[in-house]
Amino acid sequence: MQSNETKEGEVLLELEDINMCFGRVGALAGISLRVRKGEIHSVIGPNGAGKTVMMNCINGLYHPQKGNIYFKGEKINKLKPHQRAKLGIARTFQKVEVFGGMTVLGNIRLGRHIHLKSGIASGSLYVGKTAREEVEHRAFIEEEIIDLLEIEHIRNKPVGMLPYGLQKRVELGRALALEPELLILDEPLAGLNLEEVEDLARFILDINEEERWKVTCILVEHDMGVVMDLSDQVFVLNFGNKIMDGTPEEVQNHPEVIKAYLGEEDLYATRR
Amino acid sequence: MSTTFLPCSVYHEDYTQDHAWWQTKFIRGKMILLLLLLFVVIPKFADSYVLSVCNQIGYTILGALGVQLLIGYCGQLTLGHAAFLAVGAYTSTLLVLEFPWPKFLMDWGLAYPISIIAAAVVSGLWSVLFGLPSARVKGFYLILTTMAAQFVTVDFVIAQYVSRIGGRGQAFSLPPGTIKIGPWVIDTNLKVYFMMVVLVILCVIGLANLLRSRAGRAWVAIRDNDISAEVMGINIIKHKLLAFFVAGFIGGIAGAFWISNIAAISYEHFPWFWSLWLVGVILIGGVGSIHGTIFGAIFMVVVMEGLQLAVMPLADTYPKLLMDFLFIKEAAFGLAICAFLIFEPNGLAYRWWQIKNYFNLWPFSY
Repeated sequence: MQSNETKEGEVLLELEDINMCFGRVGALAGISLRVRKGEIHSVIGPNGAGKTVMMNCINGLYHPQKGNIYFKGEKINKLKPHQRAKLGIARTFQKVEVFGGMTVLGNIRLGRHIHLKSGIASGSLYVGKTAREEVEHRAFIEEEIIDLLEIEHIRNKPVGMLPYGLQKRVELGRALALEPELLILDEPLAGLNLEEVEDLARFILDINEEERWKVTCILVEHDMGVVMDLSDQVFVLNFGNKIMDGTPEEVQNHPEVIKAYLGEEDLYATRR
Repeated sequence: MSTTFLPCSVYHEDYTQDHAWWQTKFIRGKMILLLLLLFVVIPKFADSYVLSVCNQIGYTILGALGVQLLIGYCGQLTLGHAAFLAVGAYTSTLLVLEFPWPKFLMDWGLAYPISIIAAAVVSGLWSVLFGLPSARVKGFYLILTTMAAQFVTVDFVIAQYVSRIGGRGQAFSLPPGTIKIGPWVIDTNLKVYFMMVVLVILCVIGLANLLRSRAGRAWVAIRDNDISAEVMGINIIKHKLLAFFVAGFIGGIAGAFWISNIAAISYEHFPWFWSLWLVGVILIGGVGSIHGTIFGAIFMVVVMEGLQLAVMPLADTYPKLLMDFLFIKEAAFGLAICAFLIFEPNGLAYRWWQIKNYFNLWPFSY
């Protein structure tokens, strides 16, 4: 069962015995997770299992009552979300949380926030340092992100007016602009059509595998076909308890997982 | 609203061109015409009354820019901005009247310009103080805390303590000749007008530049979605306070500017209604747009002046109209806001954008 423990590779993120409850409702009970550098680690489980709570704990929106979180060997329990972002944790949200009033370019530029240095004095003059910095980062955004995600045609459109699928893509682009080491993808494929799912799955593989990015991903997803194809490791959660953590094959054959989530009959429901 | 259309055969070859304010020769030409209008045509042809209306517009623009920044760009509802105008005005007045300036600064006429900057900074810091609750509360609750800023600052601190400095009773009179920039004594509407135009242009450019750089994007992000803004690495509290600082800074400039236009300053110049008025200006002009602030200010001041002109001839037969003009003004203000919320919720700036697009895209508007 604990094949993950014996795997090779540097541990990027470690959750150690996380307990999180809201009042008397336990959301997470003693969760431990190790994400190694370079892998796609999926988290699956039925609705209400605590997947998003777990993601919120990792990036600091929630602070668990008990347990420790280590990122690159450093304890980050007390850090606020924006401090964790500076360490290199980015995320996308289950319901898209883009900045609707800004353009696509503005959204992605905002992702560069932690890499920009100009303050309000030089920003209000917009000469020298700020102007140079903006051009440099614009080049990065255009060449690395907009090109990768194929959103050239909408770069000046306000994001609030775009269709859902493109908003998801913009949100991914914004998270990438942080140049994160760990990217949390909270249901990136929910609500997309088959073609968009295939595109986005391709992008996720690209950013995970391409030499330029090499981003470690935590993927929360219900689409079992994609999860099993993409993941190196799958972590199964049910009612705040860990059921197992293993390779996709191990998970598919685990009786408890089948009972709790995948269903007895069809091994997994997928769109195909 | 931010989609830009470039005319045919205009291409950008690098990002600097794409980041420029005025991207085509046509726009540059238009802007030069606008500057000519502001600096040559209006001063040459306008009489003193028109100039005084212009000055009032300028004052409203300067005051409303801060409100626009807080409400329109940072999403921090504020209903106490007149307090920061008051702080700016009083700081500047006190510095000019009471501060022991070295002789050479007085001779060079630098006392007032320096006091404007000082007023802006003091007002900015005062604004940060009242922005602190924004770290914890949002929306309607924040309105209440900003209203506290109004009542604490104007009705308590200024009315009860600051007004008494130097043994004065209610108002600080500004003797002629105290407001001096360099060799010029600011004593006519025309001189005030020039000062107003320069200040408005500086503030608009500064704010517009801020809004396209790091801090400005962070503000808009906080307005649109504060949770994901924080996850993207923005220190929300810091940037909210920065927004309050910049808004107070511009408010301070507005207040310090206004003392050049009046003979005596009293706390009654900064009532709570003026804070509400500034919010009305941005609602009518368009929330989240700097043009909107300018259009809104022009609209409000011109409509109110027009109303006054319309009421004057009737005053002979109905003297009560003149007595109750304040109420008429308030009713018109309320009516204007209702009408805009119903018929053009995006404000005048949106109308302007539509008209511009109509001409840009003509004859194929699809």
